[in-house]
Amino acid sequence: VTAWVGVLLRLVVGSVWVVAGALKLPEPAQSVAAVRAFQLLPSGIVPTVGQLLPVIEVVVGLMLVLGLLTRAAAAASVLLLVAFIVGIASVWARGINIDCGCFGGGGANPDAASEYPWEIARDALLLAASTYLVWRPSTRLSLDSLLFRRTPLPEGS
Amino acid sequence: MSKKNRADDRTTRAAAAIEEQRRQERQRRNRMVGGVVAAILVVVLLGWLLTRSLDTSADVDAPAVGSEHGVTIGPDDAPNTVIIYEDFLCPFCAELEEQTRDDLDRLAEAGKVQVEYRPFELLGDLGDYSARSAGAFSIVLDLAGLEAAKSMHDLLFEHQPEESGPYLSDDELVDLAVESGATESDVRGPIESQDGAGWVAAATSSAGDAGVSSTPTIVLNGEVIQDGRTVEDLADNLIDELD
Repeated sequence: VTAWVGVLLRLVVGSVWVVAGALKLPEPAQSVAAVRAFQLLPSGIVPTVGQLLPVIEVVVGLMLVLGLLTRAAAAASVLLLVAFIVGIASVWARGINIDCGCFGGGGANPDAASEYPWEIARDALLLAASTYLVWRPSTRLSLDSLLFRRTPLPEGS
Repeated sequence: MSKKNRADDRTTRAAAAIEEQRRQERQRRNRMVGGVVAAILVVVLLGWLLTRSLDTSADVDAPAVGSEHGVTIGPDDAPNTVIIYEDFLCPFCAELEEQTRDDLDRLAEAGKVQVEYRPFELLGDLGDYSARSAGAFSIVLDLAGLEAAKSMHDLLFEHQPEESGPYLSDDELVDLAVESGATESDVRGPIESQDGAGWVAAATSSAGDAGVSSTPTIVLNGEVIQDGRTVEDLADNLIDELD
């Protein structure tokens, strides 16, 4: 059974990333504005981060779904989620009310304070799943097992 | 040479062959991982080039200061021009207002800058207030002149409701217009029947044509300025550029 736990986590976390990234991909201006609304990063790098984020999310998501370089993809997922949790906690603590723009959108949102705890809880669950995959990256149905399988060597000849 | 020595020799050679095979296997694996990593980096780079080209946030081509869609302060021969696109319902706009108003008033008075505030309807999805407030502003501009319009603009930001409401009623908008210097009997009818709607629609389509997609959008001497981590930083940087 444990062999399939990893597959399930890969598919769940991976598809969340693919959806989150794909929704933002067609509207980078909105993604940049969403990053800016956190008022956390120096303005010089905000456009780059806003433009890169959707691309990286889709790529990391696809890598997880396909099981390609699973450990690296899961590690990237961990880093992104930690950054998002820090970002949301930071705007929450500073009393800034914004839509996190996690799945597109962004900008001011008066009801944000009541949504922050759920957003953090969701990201924490995804973080736990990603951490598991860093720890146990070898799963069934993965490109890794197909591409990087060690050719059996003649033993004790 | 003894029999035993020959046997040892064979074992050594066999071990070396296996070791060589393992080495080649590791090399093949490393090359493949390297290839996959390179391919992924190329995909990310191409994706970034795509999103970069789609990102229009800094491409604003705003009509010159002194348009019919805003209220202008400061002399025509000021060395700098600032255009601020804003929505009376947008919280960041109100924050920017609070941080910059006194300085911009002072600098305009001193002839160092000409500022045009251009309200339009960005947040129409949230309700009718965005259009109603901008409409009331346009009515004051039309019937009571520039000075009253500037003060209506300031008052609308000072009395900004929450984005989710409850919004200011027509009576409250009339009160603000009167406080700005308009005559109640002039503005009450137009505000109640939302006569400003046409002006707001025109201002909004003009902002859209200029490429404005968020508020506040600040155009300093023709270029969008976004320098600053927080609204406060942005306000400070703007004032520093002008002072």
